[in-house]
Amino acid sequence: MNVEKFKYDNYYPKLFALATIFWGVVALLVGVTIAIQLYVPALNLGIPYTTFGRLRPLHTNAAIFAFVGNAIFAGVYYSLQRISKTRMFSDVLSKIHFWGWQLIIVAAAVTLVSGITTSKEYAELEWPIDIAIAVVWVVFGINMIGTLMKRREKHIYVAAWFYIATFVTVAVLHIGNSIELPVTFLKSYSVYAGVQDALVQWWYGHNAVAFFLTTPFLGLMYYYLPKAANRPVFSYKLSILHFWTLIFIYIWAGPHHLLYSALPNWAQSLGTVFSIMLWMPSWGGMLNGLLTLRGAWDKVRDDPVLKFFVIGVTAYGMSTFEGPMLSLKNVNALAHFTDWVPAHVHVGTLGWNGFMTFGMLYWMVPKLWKTKLYSRKLATVHFWIGTLGIVAWVIPMWWSGITQSLMWKEFTELGLLKYPNFLETVLQIVPMYIIRSIGGTLYFTGLLILVYNLYKTMKQGSFVPEEEAEAVPYDRTPEPLKYGMIHRYIESKTLLFTALVFLAIIVGGLVEVIPTYLVKSNIPTIASVKPYTPLELQGRDIYIREACNSCHSQLVRPFRSEVERYGEYSKAGEFVYDHPFLWGSKRTGPDLHRVGKKYSNMWHYLHMQDPRQMSPGSLMPRYPWLLEWDMDKESIPAKISAMRTLGVPYPEGYENQAIADLEKQANEIANDLMQSGIDADPNKDIIALIAYLQRLGTDIKKEVAEK
Amino acid sequence: MRKHKIFKFLLMGIFLLLFSNSLYAENGSHDSLSTVIQVMVAIVVFFVIIVLWLVMVYSEKNDSEGKGFKKIFGTSKPSSIEEEEKLLLDHEYDGIRELNNRIPPWFNAILYGTVIWAAAYMIYFHVVGSGNVQEEEYAVEMRVAAMQREALKSSGALIDENSVTVTDDEGDLKSGEEVYTKNCAACHGTQGQGLVGPNLTDNYWIHGNDIKDLFKTIKYGVAAKGMPTWEAQLSPQDIRNVASYILVKLHGTNPPNPKAPEGDLYEAK
Repeated sequence: MNVEKFKYDNYYPKLFALATIFWGVVALLVGVTIAIQLYVPALNLGIPYTTFGRLRPLHTNAAIFAFVGNAIFAGVYYSLQRISKTRMFSDVLSKIHFWGWQLIIVAAAVTLVSGITTSKEYAELEWPIDIAIAVVWVVFGINMIGTLMKRREKHIYVAAWFYIATFVTVAVLHIGNSIELPVTFLKSYSVYAGVQDALVQWWYGHNAVAFFLTTPFLGLMYYYLPKAANRPVFSYKLSILHFWTLIFIYIWAGPHHLLYSALPNWAQSLGTVFSIMLWMPSWGGMLNGLLTLRGAWDKVRDDPVLKFFVIGVTAYGMSTFEGPMLSLKNVNALAHFTDWVPAHVHVGTLGWNGFMTFGMLYWMVPKLWKTKLYSRKLATVHFWIGTLGIVAWVIPMWWSGITQSLMWKEFTELGLLKYPNFLETVLQIVPMYIIRSIGGTLYFTGLLILVYNLYKTMKQGSFVPEEEAEAVPYDRTPEPLKYGMIHRYIESKTLLFTALVFLAIIVGGLVEVIPTYLVKSNIPTIASVKPYTPLELQGRDIYIREACNSCHSQLVRPFRSEVERYGEYSKAGEFVYDHPFLWGSKRTGPDLHRVGKKYSNMWHYLHMQDPRQMSPGSLMPRYPWLLEWDMDKESIPAKISAMRTLGVPYPEGYENQAIADLEKQANEIANDLMQSGIDADPNKDIIALIAYLQRLGTDIKKEVAEK
Repeated sequence: MRKHKIFKFLLMGIFLLLFSNSLYAENGSHDSLSTVIQVMVAIVVFFVIIVLWLVMVYSEKNDSEGKGFKKIFGTSKPSSIEEEEKLLLDHEYDGIRELNNRIPPWFNAILYGTVIWAAAYMIYFHVVGSGNVQEEEYAVEMRVAAMQREALKSSGALIDENSVTVTDDEGDLKSGEEVYTKNCAACHGTQGQGLVGPNLTDNYWIHGNDIKDLFKTIKYGVAAKGMPTWEAQLSPQDIRNVASYILVKLHGTNPPNPKAPEGDLYEAK
């Protein structure tokens, strides 16, 4: 048998590993900052670029796509070569992938703090960046599939099944959700509106969690955990079962983000039942991980790498039990819009993604630098500080979520809301916010220990960019296709495997998307709901720019407690002109769907200048620049035209009249403000924002009045 | 035989997609839509069961004893570590070996249990339709609340704009002051001098100066002027107390920086 000699590429795994450490520090630092901003609103230092609304997407994007993303790539580039017994398909593609991805991250950071955003969660980046992401992602895919095609192993190992699923599904999700109509170089509108946009967004959003935070990490687990424990994987059969059921079922579960919303009931129910069915497929991964450690638990005591893996996999199991539970409508009624949801997410991100990444880095960096870990003790300290950090993060947020939700729902004996003032329910949980930020700081400190420890490790070792390896070439005699060996056959065919994965994930997607079109023609229309005026549209874009939807929902659920607090519950037909939808997913502040005409123009003016003037004790940051910045009027005709292209019924030629209409309405509002003694300028952003806020949720009242 | 089954399974998917496509074109009415959705839901559930079953049965070498139910839910235990050599598969990837332990029976039981539950859930709510969906749940909740309110009204526990009178009880006025500071001061000024809202200390009133007028203005708000509705936030007692506080304690004082008068002049009572 002739043995072939070749070299593993260690250079790009190294670069990705360094990038994940760097972006990890950035993402966590921003996270700690915004955690403190929630109770010290002045921490944005009075400047627009550092408000909570803009930093929150920066934190999520940096954590998901920069920290976790680079960790995935580091792990994949290292492990894929070794389970395939070959070098990566192309060094050039690796290079484009690495630098392209870093460039995208930098572009994301710059645009997000500048208020350039589509407002769709975890898909906030504007269209030029979206295109760049699609291109770089495909480069990654070609590089990965190419490597698998030229492998020297007969079969594809389970880790790579998950890598393939990651590539295929993220590509489909990203492209599907980012279909938007460009208005200017850095502004676009989602082609979907209202309920449909919400459904597509959460089909994406939920599966970004599934296929960016879950499947790639299961793949990494299947390589790094048995390697570090030096134990065989517990059950190959279980791998097959949980892999296919996981990717098939996950894709359907998105609507559980929209329970009790204006989404049709049947779609909500599908979200619920598929989430419940997802419980065991998720736990299959946890079982295979933890049971692989059978006979190696003594090593866990000494080895910090295994410690991180154990807590990581356990956290995965916890959050994938919590997820289905939160998808039950009665639990969701309590938990949605509260801190319970970020708590759930952070069990996954801090525990599963963070700890798996740390374990992997502690294992891989010494391998790449041909040395031993500088200090096991420091790694163990990191482990304990990190674990304590997670506990101090998550428990207060569970507590505050349930507390606040119960306060929102409580009635007095006279049938009135016990806490009608929303602020009261916020101030109640401030102590929890403080503890949470301490938890985050602990976790961040742990990461700094990792930086020091790995820096020292790299210092004492010497990096080997090209690692010698040898293997027997791939035996290309075809695998027999016989009973009980079907999966073995599929595993030997890269493209067949990829195609089947595509089928499994697209079926769920299509069956949900096709009825979405059905929904389009069957949303009960409301005659009195009209398109926004040019000034209101401009105000809506300012609302998006300042990311008001980070803290304020626009969706009143059909509960007595919400209808009493905010007004009539939200109907699907009210959102037909909303490109994109702005329902939000968290109520750090009150819902705004029915805020229109509730307060005077002057109230809003003073409230934006300093919320504490109108609402003493409020934790909302000040927005004084809205009173100073000139409104962007030039883009209005283009925006009107774009909206019409998307189906909003502005009359033909209206764009020519739009600026005049805008100025007329702006003058009315400015006059009203001047009558109240405010020296208002009709050309400022604040006027447009007031116009939008005063319009919100009022169309439906006209219909009631007409009746 | 087996190939035949896979073929059927693929056909099912294609049928489903074509079926839904024709519906899209049809743009059907609401009634046919709900039937369609019921059918689709049933198909989807069926589809899920088939996929799970296929994956399960065709997972590599399901070599446990027995047939059918026993094959899937049989109780044999995973290998002990000593005898796991027997279960090692004959391949390795970069030194990683795989065992072929059977899937724990409880795992299968819960997995298929949730699938059955899911089917039952969908059928209960959307095919048979006996479960309350959210609009019905809401209607029930509101009906119960309305009944409670009626009961309270008839018991006389609720004051309204017709029955309200000025209170001069010091305790009530004190509580009125608290309500004022918490809810009204931001707009009407801490001393009632007016700010966003009108001055409450002068003799000019926009919506009347009778306790019943004040009660009504506070309770229902004045949308056009930016006065919020307080009905849902303040109890009738609170509204009476704060209205009385305004009339008894604030009105007629001369605070600094008063807002210019608005509304009509009412002679002091």
